[in-house]
Amino acid sequence: MDDYLSNLSGTTQNPAIGYVVGGGLEANLQVRLTVPAQDVQEGAFVIMDSANWRFYGLVTDLQLGSTDPRFADEQSASRLPAHLNRLLQGQTLFTNLAVMPALMMDRGPELGSPAYDSWRELHADEMKPIPVKTVPSHHSSVKLADQADIAEIFGEENGKEIFRVGETREQGHGVCLNLDKLIQRSSGIFGTTGSGKSFLTRMILAGLIHTDHASTLIFDMHNEYGPDSTASDTGKPAPGLAGKFSGKVRLVGLGAGTDFGSKPADFNLEIPFSDITPEDILQLSQTLNLKDTTPTTLDALESHFGQNWFVEFKSMRSNATEEDENGKRVPAPDSVEYWANQVGIHAGAAAALHSKLGRVFNRSYLKETPASNGLNDIINNLEAGRHVVLSFGPHDSDLDYLLVTNLITRKIRDAWEARTNLFHKDKSKNKEPRPLVIVVEEAHKLLNREMAHQTIFSTIAREMRKYYVTLLVIDQRPSQIYDEVMSQLGTRISASLGDEDDIAAVLSGLAGRQALRGMLAKLQPKEEVLMLGWGVPMPIPIRSRRYDDKFWVDLLGEPKPPITFDGGSKKLGYGDDDTD
Amino acid sequence: MTTEQNLIPIGKLLRADASSFVAGCRVKDMQNPKFGALVKVALEDGDEIFGLIQNIVINDDGLVRQLVSGMSIPSEYTEDNRYNRNLPVEIHVLTVGFKHQGKVSHQLPPKPPMSLDKLYYCTDSEVVEFTSHGRFGYFRHILRMEDQPVEELLVSHLDKARAAHGDKTNLDWYAQACQELIVSLRDDYQRLANVLNALAELE
Repeated sequence: MDDYLSNLSGTTQNPAIGYVVGGGLEANLQVRLTVPAQDVQEGAFVIMDSANWRFYGLVTDLQLGSTDPRFADEQSASRLPAHLNRLLQGQTLFTNLAVMPALMMDRGPELGSPAYDSWRELHADEMKPIPVKTVPSHHSSVKLADQADIAEIFGEENGKEIFRVGETREQGHGVCLNLDKLIQRSSGIFGTTGSGKSFLTRMILAGLIHTDHASTLIFDMHNEYGPDSTASDTGKPAPGLAGKFSGKVRLVGLGAGTDFGSKPADFNLEIPFSDITPEDILQLSQTLNLKDTTPTTLDALESHFGQNWFVEFKSMRSNATEEDENGKRVPAPDSVEYWANQVGIHAGAAAALHSKLGRVFNRSYLKETPASNGLNDIINNLEAGRHVVLSFGPHDSDLDYLLVTNLITRKIRDAWEARTNLFHKDKSKNKEPRPLVIVVEEAHKLLNREMAHQTIFSTIAREMRKYYVTLLVIDQRPSQIYDEVMSQLGTRISASLGDEDDIAAVLSGLAGRQALRGMLAKLQPKEEVLMLGWGVPMPIPIRSRRYDDKFWVDLLGEPKPPITFDGGSKKLGYGDDDTD
Repeated sequence: MTTEQNLIPIGKLLRADASSFVAGCRVKDMQNPKFGALVKVALEDGDEIFGLIQNIVINDDGLVRQLVSGMSIPSEYTEDNRYNRNLPVEIHVLTVGFKHQGKVSHQLPPKPPMSLDKLYYCTDSEVVEFTSHGRFGYFRHILRMEDQPVEELLVSHLDKARAAHGDKTNLDWYAQACQELIVSLRDDYQRLANVLNALAELE
């Protein structure tokens, strides 16, 4: 506690690790290390005090140096007595840190001095870190940041929106992420398979649901987030979101009968044919290998049949002929060709489209008249502040994923857009729409260069928060995501990535890319992640929090003991609120 | 070095300039001056000028030349030459500082000592007082020397001074001195390597 108080007063407990010897804003600052190199790691968060200013930076490199290369070449240990050798090496051989300065903060005159009080009055609101605009002076002492410094920059865990994602690698100080900022713009979580990306995502989603400042819609392609599962590496049970937030999370299965393993779906989603638009089909161009003539055909279908185009087209027969009165074979009236001839488009093209759409026609979750309006249920739940996990169950092909995610997202965005417009029209009568985060797995399938123009997702990424809908993109191949979308992602959290292109993609559009590149390449799988982008004050690599029972206890408190017969009635009588 | 010894002058001033001076002693007193020792000249006004013995020169004369070139030299001749000879042994001293009104300074004295001033060894406590004043400022006088075995002088001085500082295992002063030398010479690889090699021989 004493430590904490003295930290608050601005004195940093950590001893100096070195002093500034050169460098600048463009190139990194050079810091002469005065402690063994093993005490500091790449990615360490350091502070530098120079007069009234405190600078915050990130160690991006460690370099060995010598006053004369010959001192480095010569193995003096064998020639000199130990103490002389130590002295010699201390003076002629050294380690320099390359420190990327990121933020600086005016701390005013010394705390407790009379000048401080008057300064504080003048600068009541200004004690906050700003992007670095100057450099610390020569010989400014450099220290590892302690818990108070980190809290100053990244905020202090508050059990709500300031969410601890992990700890610093050297000293294990908690590093937090502002979840409100995370959802203000679209964000991304990246990492190769086995890098711990799923657990990290699960923790952040748990944080979002617990904070409850936004609804989340999770397209759970691999059934990872909703139900309880087993960790693939440790074999330990990994609780899912639905079990931990039972009142808040709705499990939705795509198509009748889709469940969540041991858990039944709360309701199932079937999509009426009438909800399918030509755009939905066009997005499948690549998957279905559609021809250039497709838009024309779809256009004709829509203008001819209106909303019912899909069901009408589905019911047509392909290549059906009948004999006319002259005994000549002509297209039957219910055939594709007959319709094509009628509306004046190429019969071959229409027939080809009809045959290719065969895969879509027989999706079991597409129904002429579904038993319930699942789509509306999803929207209602989201608007009511609940969270929806959509499981694809057996429908796990790219075709299903593309079709369903786009269709649902478009509908939802339309609903949110309408609500936003209403809200802006009359703020007194209409409620502000509830922020919504749409979580997309395997995002490169929806946001790659070819698809990005067509899918609703790139529109959402570009609009940012205009209609209160943002994306949380989860992917293992960020290089496959269209760079224009990538550059819109505010917060990026990346676990280890193997591929050079993926690393470059995660860093696209950010300052100090070169310095961060090495750091990202050297992250330890399963343990470390790099947070960067608009949503975090400065980039920082951290050891990510473990997804275990302790995480849940920290987040939700101790689990309640099972209700026994004796205690049960008492407990029920007092109406103990469900923390979920 | 006993106190008694320090009261006996080891020589008298022959000549001096701002940064060095030369004293002379009789050949028979040759066992006294030691290379690298800290010595002082006591001035009449009570001030003292400190220096390090940087060189000891024995000059020849006609008689020595004749004796050297002779077939064999009777031992009386050698004795006679050493005890009764008129030529002094020259003790070359590098001025490294002075003491004025009891205060040590590592600067050069305002004026050099006068001829026939007496040269004394410094006592251990004087060595400690002089060498631990400030931060080894007097090293600069040594390191400035050219055409001299600077490394040897340094090492000889450090060895004697370390002994004066007492327990050999207490390396504080010595370690700081070594560090200072390394800092001063770290941009001169060859010279530093020579000094360190010489220091290594002390161990």
